[in-house]
Amino acid sequence: MEVSKNSFKTLSEPVKQFGGLVGIIILIFLTFFVLNNIFGEGDELVAKMKIEEERIAQERKLNKLISSLPSGVLVSFDGTDNFKLSDELYEAVCKATKLIPQRAIMGANFLNFRAHEIYTINGNKIDETFVKWDDEKNKCFAGFVVSGNNVGVDETVKVSGEALSFLSTGIDTRVYFIKNF
Amino acid sequence: MKKLIFFILFSSLITSLALARSTGCKEGNCDNGYGKWVYTDKTTYEGEWVATKKHGQGTETWPNGYIYKGEFKESQWNGIGILFFPDGSTYEGEWANGFMNGEGTFTWSDGKQKKGIWKNGSFQE
Repeated sequence: MEVSKNSFKTLSEPVKQFGGLVGIIILIFLTFFVLNNIFGEGDELVAKMKIEEERIAQERKLNKLISSLPSGVLVSFDGTDNFKLSDELYEAVCKATKLIPQRAIMGANFLNFRAHEIYTINGNKIDETFVKWDDEKNKCFAGFVVSGNNVGVDETVKVSGEALSFLSTGIDTRVYFIKNF
Repeated sequence: MKKLIFFILFSSLITSLALARSTGCKEGNCDNGYGKWVYTDKTTYEGEWVATKKHGQGTETWPNGYIYKGEFKESQWNGIGILFFPDGSTYEGEWANGFMNGEGTFTWSDGKQKKGIWKNGSFQE
């Protein structure tokens, strides 16, 4: 031990400094290695980041497609003067759509009086809205959930149906017609 | 900074003025008589008015494609009327308090029909 101390003392100053620098770097690496093992998520985090990157890329692709659509009403059925969506576009628009405006909700409520009652009693409040593409049926489904107290009873009503028309604003798309009959 | 605040205020003023000009009673008499009212979401009502309420015969057109033609009472769909759904389906018959109530026929866009008594939008088997 004494010998190694003496040999260290005999080393030149630049060598000592270099050795110290290497030592500090190793210490930093080791510290981060230990911290990463304790708090880091490793491969799991990388996988999550990849999924998120893919989602962002997909969203950008859909946004590009949405901005290329004509502004106005987009429909998936025949017999109107509105822009008719192809099967491929219908799926893309469905996947890119998140909003359901009030008139679409009011329209769906024509066939669901309970939902209408809860909706109006609670000041047009909606708990949840959803727009989903069904791969099995090859159709777009949209809906909403209303809940509240109606004549002393707590109720939750879910209304859903095929989303058959959308409004394209040029920036986003919104469900315009939910066919729940 | 002052310029930016002035620009925002000025833009808001212009927008609200433009919005105010495009909504409200656009034609005729919307108090007592026949007139056309345009709502902020572009829903329109054209028909008879009594004491500033939709009352009598009229047509309400929603921006998402629903069209109701028929009788109104106290601004609600009441009486005999026909509702056109955006996909071409229709309900023709009696209405009360804004809902299908009474005798009526629902016709799907493919021609299939359901005829009978309706209560609050539900068919009574």
